[in-house]
Amino acid sequence: MEKISPIRLSELNARINNVLEKAFHAASFWVIADVTNHTFRSQKNYHNFELVEKDPNSNNIIAKVSSKAWGNGSARIANFEQVTGQKFTNNINVLVLVKVTFHGVYGLSLEVLEIDTNFTLGVLEQQRQATLEKLVAENDFIQKVGDHYRTKNNQLKLPMVIQRIAVISSKTSAGGEDFHHTLQNNPYGFVFEIHDYHSVVQGENNSDQFLSKLIEVYQSKLRYDAVVITRGGGAQTDFLIFDNYQIGRAVAKFPIPIITGIGHQKNETIADLMAHTQTKTPTKAAEFIIAHNKSFEDEILSFQKSILIKSQQLFSIHFQILLGVNSSIVNNTRDILNKYKDSLVQINQVTINTSKSILFNRKNELVGLSSQIVSKPKIILYNRISDIRNTISNLSTFKSLYLKNQRGYLGHYVSIIKMMAPENILKKGFAIVKVDNKITSNPDAILVGGDIEIMLASTQITTTVKKKTKYDGTEFNL
Amino acid sequence: MEQNLTYEEAYAELATIAKDIENESVSVDVLAEKVKRASELITFCQTKLKSTELEVNKIIAQMENANK
Repeated sequence: MEKISPIRLSELNARINNVLEKAFHAASFWVIADVTNHTFRSQKNYHNFELVEKDPNSNNIIAKVSSKAWGNGSARIANFEQVTGQKFTNNINVLVLVKVTFHGVYGLSLEVLEIDTNFTLGVLEQQRQATLEKLVAENDFIQKVGDHYRTKNNQLKLPMVIQRIAVISSKTSAGGEDFHHTLQNNPYGFVFEIHDYHSVVQGENNSDQFLSKLIEVYQSKLRYDAVVITRGGGAQTDFLIFDNYQIGRAVAKFPIPIITGIGHQKNETIADLMAHTQTKTPTKAAEFIIAHNKSFEDEILSFQKSILIKSQQLFSIHFQILLGVNSSIVNNTRDILNKYKDSLVQINQVTINTSKSILFNRKNELVGLSSQIVSKPKIILYNRISDIRNTISNLSTFKSLYLKNQRGYLGHYVSIIKMMAPENILKKGFAIVKVDNKITSNPDAILVGGDIEIMLASTQITTTVKKKTKYDGTEFNL
Repeated sequence: MEQNLTYEEAYAELATIAKDIENESVSVDVLAEKVKRASELITFCQTKLKSTELEVNKIIAQMENANK
C-alpha cells in the first residue's frame, strides 16, 4: 500500500488557484446568461447571484456559476439599471463581461466587470413589442394606426371641463404631490375634486394591485371626468409595470379618459400608448388639465365677448333702422301732404280761372243777345210797315181789275144757271116723275099698277103704270 | 299700445305703414291716423330696444363681475 502523504486543503486550493490563475489570468469573457438567487447588500454595494444557462427546449439548467459584482462592477450595474430602466434582478437575461476568480473559502466564482445595456434594452424592447402585438391581436378595442394605437380609451372625448379626478399614485410619491400642488394652485382659481387611489406603482409583480385600483375607480360609480396615473421621476429602474400586458389592456379598455403623467424619460410605456393622453410628468399632467379647462374658459369668455359685441351691434343696427323708418315716414308724409296741397291749390286756381271765364262768356252772350233784342223789333216793325204799304198800293192797283173779272165770272154763272132752270129743261122735252107728290128718279119706287104724276112744261099728267122694262140707257149717249 | 305686442310684430306693421306711405297708397283720410300709429310703433320699438339693451348690459356686467 502506497504511503499516503496528505496535503492541507489550503495547499490544494492554492494549487487550484495557481492553475486557474495561469489559465485565466487577465482573461475576461462576454457571457450570455440568466440571473438567479440575486441578493444585494447596499451598504457594501455588493451583488451576489448565480448565472445560469437553461436548455431552450427543456428549460433545465445546464450550467450554473456563482457570481458577484462589487466596486466598479456594481457601479456598471447601477448604470445599467439607470439606462435600461430594468432592475438587475432574478430572471433577467444579460450579456456580462466576467472574470474567473477563485477564493480559498468561497471557491470558484465569476466577477462581473461590465454589463451590456444594449443587449438588455434589445431584449426589453422585444418584450415590449411582443406585448404590444399581443394587445393588438387579442383585443378588438386596440388597433394600430401608423405609429399610434387607437384604443377605446383614447377615442373617448374628454369632458369640456375636467373637475372630478381620480389619481392613481403611490402613497409616498412626490409626483402625486406635485400633481395635487399644481392643480390646487392653478392661477385661474379652478376648483378640483381629487380622489387619491394609492397603489404601489413599481415592480411588475404589483400589476395586480394596480389593476385592482383601476377597478376600484370604476366601481366607485363616481362620475370622474378623468383618471390620472402618476409616477414621479427619480430612479429609472421600474417602469416595467406600465409595460405590463394586463395593465395596458385595462387602460385601453377603461371607460373614463386616462391621463398619464409618468416621469419617464425614455420612450413611452405601453400604458402611455393605450391611455387617452400622455404627459411626461405628474406636473405636466396637471398643467394639461388646467390648460384644457382654461381653453374652455377662454371659449366661454370669447362667447361672452362676441355676445357683447354682437348685441351692441344689433342694438345699434335696430336703432338705425328705426331712425331710418322714422325719417322716411316723416318725409314721405310731408311729401304726400305737399302733393295734396299742391293739387288743391291747382284745382283752386283752375276753379277760379274757369269760373271767371264762364262768367265772362255768359256776359258776352248776354250783351250780344240784348243788343239783338234791342235792334230786331225795329227791323221787324219796319218790314211790317213796308209790307203793309206794299199791300195797300197793291190793293189800290188791283181793286178795279178784280171787280171787273168778278163781274165777268158772275155773268157766266148766271147764264149757266138760266140754262139749268127746270122750265128750260122741261121745254127741251124732259119730264119730272112724281110718286105720291114727291119727285123721284128711282125706278124701284114706281110699282106696276101704281099711280105716278108726270110733269111737263105747262101740264101735269096723272097716270097708272102698266109695265116696267129695263133698257141699257145708251140711247142718249152724247 | 296693446299688450303682448312683440317687437317683430310692431316692426312689421311699421314697415308696412312706411311702405304704404312711400308708395303714396295711403289716402289723406287715414294719413294722420297712419302717421300717428307709426309714431306710436316707433316709440314702442325704441322703448323696447332700449329696455332690452339696458337689461342685456346689466346681464353682461354681471357676467363680467362674475369673472373677476
